[in-house]
Amino acid sequence: MVMPRDPLLRAWVALIGLSLGSTTLTLWHWPPKFAALAGALILTLGWLKARVILSRYLGLAAAPFWRRGFELALAMFCLLLLGLYLLASAF
Amino acid sequence: MSDSSVFDELPGDLMIWVLIVSELLVFGAGLAAFLSVRITDPAGFAAAQDALYRTGAGLNTVVLITSGALAAWALRLREDAQRGLARLALVGAALLGLVFLIVKSIEYAGKAGEGIAWDTHPFFTFYYLLTGFHAAHVLAGVVLLLLVAWQDTPRNIEAGAAFWHMVDLVWVLLFPVIYLLR
Repeated sequence: MVMPRDPLLRAWVALIGLSLGSTTLTLWHWPPKFAALAGALILTLGWLKARVILSRYLGLAAAPFWRRGFELALAMFCLLLLGLYLLASAF
Repeated sequence: MSDSSVFDELPGDLMIWVLIVSELLVFGAGLAAFLSVRITDPAGFAAAQDALYRTGAGLNTVVLITSGALAAWALRLREDAQRGLARLALVGAALLGLVFLIVKSIEYAGKAGEGIAWDTHPFFTFYYLLTGFHAAHVLAGVVLLLLVAWQDTPRNIEAGAAFWHMVDLVWVLLFPVIYLLR
Protein backbone atom coordinates (compact mmCIF):
# COMPACT_ATOMS: atom_id res chain seq x y z
CA MET A 1 0.00 0.00 0.00
CA VAL A 2 1.31 3.45 -0.94
CA MET A 3 1.03 5.91 1.95
CA PRO A 4 0.25 9.55 1.09
CA ARG A 5 3.02 12.14 1.62
CA ASP A 6 0.90 14.63 3.55
CA PRO A 7 1.55 13.83 7.25
CA LEU A 8 -2.06 14.63 8.20
CA LEU A 9 -3.51 12.46 5.47
CA ARG A 10 -1.04 9.73 6.44
CA ALA A 11 -2.16 10.01 10.06
CA TRP A 12 -5.83 9.75 9.03
CA VAL A 13 -5.11 6.66 6.87
CA ALA A 14 -3.15 5.09 9.76
CA LEU A 15 -6.01 5.78 12.20
CA ILE A 16 -8.60 4.28 9.84
CA GLY A 17 -6.34 1.24 9.32
CA LEU A 18 -5.84 0.76 13.06
CA SER A 19 -9.62 1.08 13.62
CA LEU A 20 -10.27 -1.57 10.97
CA GLY A 21 -7.69 -3.72 12.75
CA SER A 22 -9.61 -3.39 16.04
CA THR A 23 -12.87 -4.29 14.30
CA THR A 24 -11.30 -7.36 12.66
CA LEU A 25 -9.89 -8.52 16.00
CA THR A 26 -13.32 -8.12 17.60
CA LEU A 27 -15.19 -10.01 14.86
CA TRP A 28 -12.70 -12.88 14.94
CA HIS A 29 -13.97 -15.83 16.98
CA TRP A 30 -11.06 -16.32 19.36
CA PRO A 31 -10.78 -19.60 21.26
CA PRO A 32 -11.33 -18.86 24.99
CA LYS A 33 -7.68 -19.49 25.85
CA PHE A 34 -6.63 -16.73 23.40
CA ALA A 35 -9.28 -14.19 24.50
CA ALA A 36 -6.78 -12.36 26.72
CA LEU A 37 -4.36 -12.11 23.80
CA ALA A 38 -7.11 -10.58 21.65
CA GLY A 39 -7.85 -8.06 24.39
CA ALA A 40 -4.17 -7.16 24.69
CA LEU A 41 -3.97 -6.63 20.90
CA ILE A 42 -7.10 -4.44 20.93
CA LEU A 43 -5.60 -2.31 23.72
CA THR A 44 -2.33 -2.07 21.80
CA LEU A 45 -4.16 -0.77 18.72
CA GLY A 46 -5.94 1.83 20.90
CA TRP A 47 -2.55 2.91 22.28
CA LEU A 48 -1.14 3.26 18.74
CA LYS A 49 -4.17 5.36 17.70
CA ALA A 50 -3.67 7.65 20.71
CA ARG A 51 0.02 8.07 19.78
CA VAL A 52 -0.89 9.11 16.23
CA ILE A 53 -3.42 11.69 17.52
CA LEU A 54 -0.90 13.15 19.98
CA SER A 55 1.85 13.30 17.43
CA ARG A 56 0.04 14.42 14.27
CA TYR A 57 -3.34 15.90 15.16
CA LEU A 58 -2.16 17.69 18.32
CA GLY A 59 1.16 18.55 16.68
CA LEU A 60 3.53 17.07 19.27
CA ALA A 61 5.66 15.68 16.42
CA ALA A 62 7.15 19.19 16.31
CA ALA A 63 7.79 19.22 20.08
CA PRO A 64 10.03 16.21 20.83
CA PHE A 65 10.39 16.93 24.56
CA TRP A 66 6.63 17.00 25.11
CA ARG A 67 5.98 14.12 22.75
CA ARG A 68 8.36 11.91 24.76
CA GLY A 69 6.66 12.94 28.01
CA PHE A 70 3.13 12.39 26.74
CA GLU A 71 4.06 9.09 25.10
CA LEU A 72 5.70 7.84 28.29
CA ALA A 73 2.62 8.77 30.37
CA LEU A 74 0.32 7.23 27.75
CA ALA A 75 2.36 4.01 27.62
CA MET A 76 2.27 3.71 31.43
CA PHE A 77 -1.48 4.33 31.49
CA CYS A 78 -2.09 1.69 28.77
CA LEU A 79 0.09 -0.76 30.71
CA LEU A 80 -2.08 -0.09 33.77
CA LEU A 81 -5.23 -0.80 31.72
CA LEU A 82 -3.64 -3.95 30.31
CA GLY A 83 -2.67 -5.13 33.81
CA LEU A 84 -6.21 -4.58 35.14
CA TYR A 85 -7.68 -6.32 32.10
CA LEU A 86 -5.38 -9.34 32.44
CA LEU A 87 -6.02 -9.49 36.19
CA ALA A 88 -9.73 -10.08 35.48
CA SER A 89 -8.81 -12.83 33.00
CA ALA A 90 -6.65 -14.51 35.64
CA PHE A 91 -9.60 -15.03 38.01
CA MET B 1 21.43 33.26 28.12
CA SER B 2 18.38 32.15 26.12
CA ASP B 3 14.86 33.24 27.16
CA SER B 4 13.24 30.23 25.55
CA SER B 5 11.79 27.46 27.69
CA VAL B 6 10.42 24.01 26.92
CA PHE B 7 6.92 25.52 27.20
CA ASP B 8 7.60 27.53 24.03
CA GLU B 9 7.93 24.23 22.19
CA LEU B 10 4.31 23.28 22.95
CA PRO B 11 1.93 23.86 20.01
CA GLY B 12 -0.73 26.38 21.07
CA ASP B 13 -1.47 27.95 24.44
CA LEU B 14 -0.19 26.39 27.64
CA MET B 15 -3.68 26.69 29.20
CA ILE B 16 -5.31 24.48 26.54
CA TRP B 17 -2.70 21.83 27.40
CA VAL B 18 -3.50 22.17 31.10
CA LEU B 19 -7.15 21.57 30.16
CA ILE B 20 -6.23 18.59 27.94
CA VAL B 21 -4.13 16.96 30.67
CA SER B 22 -6.88 17.55 33.27
CA GLU B 23 -9.51 15.95 31.04
CA LEU B 24 -7.25 13.01 30.22
CA LEU B 25 -6.65 12.42 33.94
CA VAL B 26 -10.41 12.42 34.67
CA PHE B 27 -11.25 10.01 31.84
CA GLY B 28 -8.15 7.94 32.61
CA ALA B 29 -9.26 7.53 36.24
CA GLY B 30 -12.75 6.54 35.02
CA LEU B 31 -11.40 3.88 32.66
CA ALA B 32 -9.05 2.48 35.33
CA ALA B 33 -11.96 2.36 37.81
CA PHE B 34 -14.11 0.58 35.20
CA LEU B 35 -11.46 -2.13 34.64
CA SER B 36 -10.88 -2.43 38.40
CA VAL B 37 -14.57 -3.08 39.12
CA ARG B 38 -14.67 -5.49 36.15
CA ILE B 39 -12.20 -7.74 38.03
CA THR B 40 -14.98 -8.52 40.52
CA ASP B 41 -17.40 -9.75 37.82
CA PRO B 42 -15.80 -10.32 34.38
CA ALA B 43 -18.64 -12.62 33.20
CA GLY B 44 -21.32 -10.10 34.21
CA PHE B 45 -19.43 -7.29 32.46
CA ALA B 46 -19.07 -9.40 29.28
CA ALA B 47 -22.80 -10.25 29.29
CA ALA B 48 -23.70 -6.58 29.78
CA GLN B 49 -21.30 -5.53 27.03
CA ASP B 50 -23.14 -7.82 24.58
CA ALA B 51 -26.09 -5.41 24.80
CA LEU B 52 -23.99 -2.59 23.33
CA TYR B 53 -24.27 -1.34 19.77
CA ARG B 54 -20.68 -2.03 18.68
CA THR B 55 -21.23 -1.26 14.99
CA GLY B 56 -22.52 2.22 15.81
CA ALA B 57 -19.59 2.84 18.14
CA GLY B 58 -17.16 1.62 15.45
CA LEU B 59 -18.80 3.97 12.94
CA ASN B 60 -18.46 6.79 15.45
CA THR B 61 -14.72 6.08 15.70
CA VAL B 62 -14.33 6.67 11.96
CA VAL B 63 -16.54 9.79 12.22
CA LEU B 64 -14.44 11.32 15.03
CA ILE B 65 -11.10 10.42 13.43
CA THR B 66 -12.22 12.07 10.18
CA SER B 67 -13.59 15.07 12.02
CA GLY B 68 -10.26 15.44 13.85
CA ALA B 69 -8.40 15.38 10.53
CA LEU B 70 -10.67 18.15 9.20
CA ALA B 71 -9.99 20.28 12.31
CA ALA B 72 -6.23 19.76 11.90
CA TRP B 73 -6.47 20.66 8.20
CA ALA B 74 -8.46 23.78 9.10
CA LEU B 75 -5.55 25.12 11.16
CA ARG B 76 -3.08 24.46 8.37
CA LEU B 77 -5.37 26.08 5.79
CA ARG B 78 -5.82 29.16 8.00
CA GLU B 79 -2.06 29.46 8.47
CA ASP B 80 -1.78 29.34 4.66
CA ALA B 81 -4.31 32.25 4.56
CA GLN B 82 -7.03 30.09 2.98
CA ARG B 83 -9.77 31.37 5.29
CA GLY B 84 -12.75 30.12 3.30
CA LEU B 85 -11.47 26.56 3.09
CA ALA B 86 -10.43 26.63 6.75
CA ARG B 87 -13.95 27.66 7.77
CA LEU B 88 -15.43 24.96 5.55
CA ALA B 89 -13.19 22.34 7.19
CA LEU B 90 -14.23 23.53 10.66
CA VAL B 91 -17.93 23.40 9.79
CA GLY B 92 -17.38 19.92 8.30
CA ALA B 93 -15.66 18.83 11.53
CA ALA B 94 -18.58 20.21 13.57
CA LEU B 95 -21.14 18.46 11.36
CA LEU B 96 -19.33 15.16 11.85
CA GLY B 97 -19.46 15.87 15.58
CA LEU B 98 -23.23 16.14 15.24
CA VAL B 99 -23.29 12.82 13.36
CA PHE B 100 -21.44 11.31 16.34
CA LEU B 101 -24.07 12.67 18.71
CA ILE B 102 -26.95 11.40 16.55
CA VAL B 103 -25.47 7.88 16.49
CA LYS B 104 -24.90 8.10 20.26
CA SER B 105 -28.52 9.22 20.78
CA ILE B 106 -29.77 6.25 18.75
CA GLU B 107 -27.61 3.99 20.92
CA TYR B 108 -28.99 5.50 24.16
CA ALA B 109 -32.57 5.32 22.87
CA GLY B 110 -32.04 1.65 22.01
CA LYS B 111 -30.77 0.95 25.53
CA ALA B 112 -33.72 2.79 27.07
CA GLY B 113 -36.10 0.80 24.85
CA GLU B 114 -34.57 -2.43 26.16
CA GLY B 115 -35.12 -1.23 29.72
CA ILE B 116 -31.40 -0.81 30.35
CA ALA B 117 -30.62 2.04 32.74
CA TRP B 118 -27.55 3.25 34.65
CA ASP B 119 -28.43 1.02 37.63
CA THR B 120 -29.12 -2.18 35.64
CA HIS B 121 -25.55 -3.40 36.25
CA PRO B 122 -22.30 -1.69 37.38
CA PHE B 123 -21.15 -2.02 33.75
CA PHE B 124 -23.93 0.34 32.65
CA THR B 125 -23.19 2.79 35.48
CA PHE B 126 -19.69 3.25 34.02
CA TYR B 127 -21.00 3.04 30.45
CA TYR B 128 -23.45 5.94 30.92
CA LEU B 129 -21.06 7.94 33.07
CA LEU B 130 -18.06 7.70 30.74
CA THR B 131 -19.80 7.79 27.34
CA GLY B 132 -22.26 10.46 28.56
CA PHE B 133 -19.45 12.66 29.90
CA HIS B 134 -17.61 12.16 26.61
CA ALA B 135 -20.74 13.01 24.59
CA ALA B 136 -21.06 16.24 26.63
CA HIS B 137 -17.50 17.09 25.55
CA VAL B 138 -18.41 16.33 21.92
CA LEU B 139 -21.33 18.76 22.20
CA ALA B 140 -19.05 21.42 23.73
CA GLY B 141 -16.49 20.71 20.99
CA VAL B 142 -19.09 21.20 18.23
CA VAL B 143 -20.03 24.61 19.70
CA LEU B 144 -16.34 25.49 20.02
CA LEU B 145 -15.57 24.48 16.41
CA LEU B 146 -18.42 26.67 15.15
CA LEU B 147 -17.25 29.55 17.34
CA VAL B 148 -13.69 29.40 16.00
CA ALA B 149 -15.05 29.08 12.43
CA TRP B 150 -16.70 32.46 13.10
CA GLN B 151 -13.84 34.08 15.06
CA ASP B 152 -11.22 32.46 12.87
CA THR B 153 -7.84 33.75 14.04
CA PRO B 154 -5.14 31.06 13.78
CA ARG B 155 -4.77 31.17 17.59
CA ASN B 156 -8.50 30.53 18.11
CA ILE B 157 -8.56 27.71 15.57
CA GLU B 158 -5.51 26.11 17.17
CA ALA B 159 -7.18 26.14 20.61
CA GLY B 160 -10.53 24.85 19.27
CA ALA B 161 -8.87 22.11 17.24
CA ALA B 162 -6.72 21.06 20.23
CA PHE B 163 -9.85 20.63 22.38
CA TRP B 164 -11.41 18.59 19.59
CA HIS B 165 -8.34 16.35 19.31
CA MET B 166 -8.53 15.75 23.07
CA VAL B 167 -12.13 14.54 22.60
CA ASP B 168 -10.85 12.29 19.79
CA LEU B 169 -7.97 10.99 21.93
CA VAL B 170 -10.31 10.10 24.81
CA TRP B 171 -12.62 8.21 22.43
CA VAL B 172 -9.87 6.01 20.91
CA LEU B 173 -9.06 4.82 24.46
CA LEU B 174 -12.64 4.68 25.75
CA PHE B 175 -14.01 2.75 22.76
CA PRO B 176 -11.82 -0.39 23.09
CA VAL B 177 -12.10 -0.51 26.88
CA ILE B 178 -15.90 -0.14 27.09
CA TYR B 179 -17.05 -1.73 23.83
CA LEU B 180 -14.43 -4.26 22.73
CA LEU B 181 -12.48 -5.81 25.62
CA ARG B 182 -13.96 -9.20 26.49
